[in-house]
Amino acid sequence: MTKTNHTVNFTINGEKKTFATRPDEKLLTLLRREGYRGTKYGCGQGTCGACTVLLDGRATYACLLYSMQAEGREVRTIESVGTFDKPGEFQKELVAAGAVQCGYCIPGMVMSATALMETEEVFEDEIVKEYMDGNLCRCTGYEKIWVALRKTLDKQAAQPKPAAKKTSAKGARK
Amino acid sequence: MNRHEKAKNFKQVNTSVTKIDALQLALGKDSYVADFVPNNALIVKMLWSPHAHARIKKLDVSKAEKMPGVKAVLWYGNVPRIAHCTAGQGFPEPSPYDTFMFDKKVRFVGDRVAAVAAETEEQALAALEAIKVEYELLKPVFSLDEAMAPGAPVIHDEAEAHVPIPIPYEPKKNLVAHVACEAGSFEKGLKEADFKFDQTYETPYAQHCPIEPYTSMAQLAPSGRIHITTSTQVPFHCRRIVAKTLDVPVQKIRVVKPRIGGGFGCKQEVLLDDVTAMFALRTGRACLWQFNREETFRTGRTRHPFRIRLQAGVKKDGTITAINMDCINNTGAYGGHGLTVVSCAGSKVLPLYHCENIKFDGKSYYTNLPVGGAYRGFGATQAFFAMESLMDQMAEAIGMDPMKFRQLNHIREGEGSPIFAALGEGREGTPMTVGSNALAECIVQGAEAINWKDRKDWRGKTGRYRRGIGMACLMQGSSIPDIDMGAASIKINEDGSFNLLVGATDLGTGSDTVLAQIAAEELETATDKMIVYSSDTDLTPFDVGAYASSTTYLSGEAVRKAAADAKRQILATGAEMLGLPVAEVFCEDAAVHSKKDEKKKVTYSDIANYALYQKNQYQIIGTASHITKKSPPPFAAHFAEIEVDTWTGFIKVLNYVSTIDCGTAVNPALAEGQTEGGTLNGISYALTEEYLFDKDGKMQNASFADYHIYSMRDRPPLRTILVPSYEETGPFGAKSVSEICINGAAPVFANALYNATGARLREFPLTPEKVLKAIQAVNQKK
Amino acid sequence: MKLCEFIRPASLAEARKTLRGLGPKGMVLAGGTALHFMPGKAPVTAVDITGLGLSYIKQKGDFFVIGAATPLSDIQRYRGPRWAMHEICRRISTHQIRNVSTIGGNICRVFPWADLPVVLLAMNARMVVYSGKEKEITADEYFSSQPARLFREGDLLTAVKIPVLKAQHGFGSVKATRNATAFSLVTIAALLELKDGVIKSARVAAGSGIPFPLRLKGVEAALVGKEAATTVFKEAAAAAGAAAKWVGGEGMSADYIRQLAEVSILDALERAAEFARGRAE
Repeated sequence: MTKTNHTVNFTINGEKKTFATRPDEKLLTLLRREGYRGTKYGCGQGTCGACTVLLDGRATYACLLYSMQAEGREVRTIESVGTFDKPGEFQKELVAAGAVQCGYCIPGMVMSATALMETEEVFEDEIVKEYMDGNLCRCTGYEKIWVALRKTLDKQAAQPKPAAKKTSAKGARK
Repeated sequence: MNRHEKAKNFKQVNTSVTKIDALQLALGKDSYVADFVPNNALIVKMLWSPHAHARIKKLDVSKAEKMPGVKAVLWYGNVPRIAHCTAGQGFPEPSPYDTFMFDKKVRFVGDRVAAVAAETEEQALAALEAIKVEYELLKPVFSLDEAMAPGAPVIHDEAEAHVPIPIPYEPKKNLVAHVACEAGSFEKGLKEADFKFDQTYETPYAQHCPIEPYTSMAQLAPSGRIHITTSTQVPFHCRRIVAKTLDVPVQKIRVVKPRIGGGFGCKQEVLLDDVTAMFALRTGRACLWQFNREETFRTGRTRHPFRIRLQAGVKKDGTITAINMDCINNTGAYGGHGLTVVSCAGSKVLPLYHCENIKFDGKSYYTNLPVGGAYRGFGATQAFFAMESLMDQMAEAIGMDPMKFRQLNHIREGEGSPIFAALGEGREGTPMTVGSNALAECIVQGAEAINWKDRKDWRGKTGRYRRGIGMACLMQGSSIPDIDMGAASIKINEDGSFNLLVGATDLGTGSDTVLAQIAAEELETATDKMIVYSSDTDLTPFDVGAYASSTTYLSGEAVRKAAADAKRQILATGAEMLGLPVAEVFCEDAAVHSKKDEKKKVTYSDIANYALYQKNQYQIIGTASHITKKSPPPFAAHFAEIEVDTWTGFIKVLNYVSTIDCGTAVNPALAEGQTEGGTLNGISYALTEEYLFDKDGKMQNASFADYHIYSMRDRPPLRTILVPSYEETGPFGAKSVSEICINGAAPVFANALYNATGARLREFPLTPEKVLKAIQAVNQKK
Repeated sequence: MKLCEFIRPASLAEARKTLRGLGPKGMVLAGGTALHFMPGKAPVTAVDITGLGLSYIKQKGDFFVIGAATPLSDIQRYRGPRWAMHEICRRISTHQIRNVSTIGGNICRVFPWADLPVVLLAMNARMVVYSGKEKEITADEYFSSQPARLFREGDLLTAVKIPVLKAQHGFGSVKATRNATAFSLVTIAALLELKDGVIKSARVAAGSGIPFPLRLKGVEAALVGKEAATTVFKEAAAAAGAAAKWVGGEGMSADYIRQLAEVSILDALERAAEFARGRAE
């Protein structure tokens, strides 16, 4: 492993942790080294979305963020969404729709969708596409991913609203 | 019962069973090569050639070797010089052996020069910078015309370059391959025509853009054998080729493919594994090599650009009297797949329409540009652009609706084509009669979905935004008959589950699931009773790998036969347990039943326990191999409505309809998924993807920011319609589905553009500038 | 650029002091996405300004004030009276980039493809620069050449002030791209001030397709005093060729880009006219 000379502290999937790092280390490298391998390397250039993680509730590219930019903040990865026994809603719908082909883009898709579901209350098509436009897929043509997402969002929108779900993402659309 | 009805009675097949690995992938569990890397793995980096054509005069790695963290450096001076080809094809390959692990010559920007394995990525990259190279620049060849010109620079002048089978190969002329055939007489047929055509089409480079870049990891097992875990479509070809290039016995190597993040053909190649294996051998450490995205674009395999001259003649009554297809492809700096891709341009396209006089000539040439490989569609994509554009023009000449013209002429069930026998993949083909063909129905359903009946000749319209509707008919193949083989094993466990072992390679296509469904159907049990393990050269039987649209049709039939073999054993043991003759029992719902007494039955679990533990013990295990005897084409009809901004040349796709006859869709959701993904890839190939080169042959736009594939925000409304037929020679009526769908968009849009504006483009991508220029030229003529 | 140190100053003054001390070895870090476009291994210290309270959008009198470290997605979401910044912001790159890239990052070191300079020029925005104390610079002055020149001595952009559009104003923008998230081929922004259907003043700016964002004075001149009608817009757009040096891109020629710019100018002007007439956003 590259010699480290710094540390960074951030909350990862709800747990406060301290990691050894270097100023020029990207968050993606740190996460994968520390066992959070659900976040994938697809381009390293902030263009494909396979490395999407949530930073304070917002979808970001872990391959562009420096690890130290996460200092004091909340990072969430795919490991925080669902388990075999209790998959997340979107994961359930993806599986049911036949939307997972090679699967490489899927963790990133799930994270972007998670940000969408936790930030917005109304899910118009145009807004949904804007949230998802940074996650590339070459296998599916997005068709079944869209079907699964639409179903998940419609189900969520139909539910009675819980008391103001607190997220740190600012400025929900009016 | 009508055989189409048969498919409706299947229990496991023709059902959208949940993909076996879907949840694991959606949860982000360790699945891909890079998820299994030991902590102390070395990182491999490659020094790539900055020049398109040069000899290496001096190469000094001495400083690099001594740098911190560096464990080994590979270059032409310290590896065996063994000519081979990197293409994953049957052996001996129908491709030249024109590649060396490292050579003293570089032939394209992105060719290998030397490689380093070091403790960290940073150290490896620093070591690359310490490698001193002196080049003698040679005149490069950047186009087909330059390659074919007399006295052109010879790209492969090495003595060792040769072809392992007797096929035309003239590297001194940069000629990689040549295949030709004729049925009837083109000259005679042309004379019979009322209208004659002679046009040339060009198709561009493209990259497959799998979201997981090329990745390979090799390590030594405790036994000293070399274990390669790699993102590959061809584990068995990989093993053979690595053994050859390392000069070690095949026995010493194990290749395993875990989940991979897409391939689409680019991973039907041994591009990394020889180097990682050599490093593992030299260092004794695990060695990981992952291309970054830029390397994937420049060094990764690409789609062969083609120039296609299409001549044809048609009579007023709609009879196509003659077709002459003259194809030349640019195979780039190395010749793997050059011959087979150009052959498929003919073999997968020319049989589609009745014609008694068909001539074909296909050639493949070297250039000092990125290397062509296998890419979904494999030559058919390129040739359909030409053929389906010409079909519309022939229809127009005789005043017939282009759909009606195709309906009149396309191949029917029970018919053959002289092309089937004349052209295979690099060799002669296999004569074949089309056994299943729902193309007529595809056309009808697609036309209905796009509202073809409202289509008019809109060329005379004015106004900024103009609409057009276009169509194309398509076919492909299913497997390479007589050449490719797949095999499977299936063994029972005491709970009635089965281990299904297949060499077949799931790229994300879901073949593990499809094969499990086939096995379950044959065995009269549930798909979720199958534990599938695939693509491990030590543990699974042989399979050529995922290409030529063969997994369902070829590997699927091997699986069905293996399951049938296991079923015979289950019936025998079940009969023994019931005290009945075998003829009096049958399998249903995971149990063996008495035909005469419905209360008498034993479950598969009972049978397994009995056979494994109790009496006359043996392992119930079925094994089978399969070679296909034909390559039954799937058929498709694609339709699209577009809107052209005649002031800017931008094309907007309003609606796209993809119909597909894949026989029985073993898993309809997965069949749709293949069609949707391939169709969208075809759409961006037609409109926005391209390789931009500088004057020195370097690809300039090697990132997703500059090479445009579609995001969820770009996708047009797309409708996919599965139109069933039943292919008797395929497992439960199945044919292939994965390649054909990428072939439609380019000709569909070219035809729709003509319908909207009168502008006919014979090259693509249909960039806004090209479209605008073409429209302006039409307007000037008016 | 290779980051070798990370510093988080606690105040604007401390940030400036730190930057002055570091000289060329220091750089401001907000979103950090622009670093990707600065290759090389020169060691650099990142001065992280995201903790200085510079992420906000508020209306103060006749101006909207946007903090320099405000992410583009916040600007995309914000709504205010006759607010028009979201039109372009929703077209910049992808969702993940918009969440991290800031307005400051888009305009302090201007890359040829940057969109916000084009919009801010058209809107006659004012940039607030801190050099110990704050001063305002007009967009015309700020973008007269590479703004990075203003920040070499440790000064910092702290906010961008955008005039609240009045009833007589109309704003329209067009960004021409090969697909939804691609870099721009041509970006046009137009601000018209109308009185009784006549164009009293016009600011028309362009970016991408030319080496650096600038106002198209020739186009503006062809609009002022004329009726806000399509025929006038067409004539004004035709002045685009002479108004700037158009450059080819993505394998397409300079002449095509110029034609694309003319149509984009026309479309932007039509949108601005609609805006002035009170179209729904």
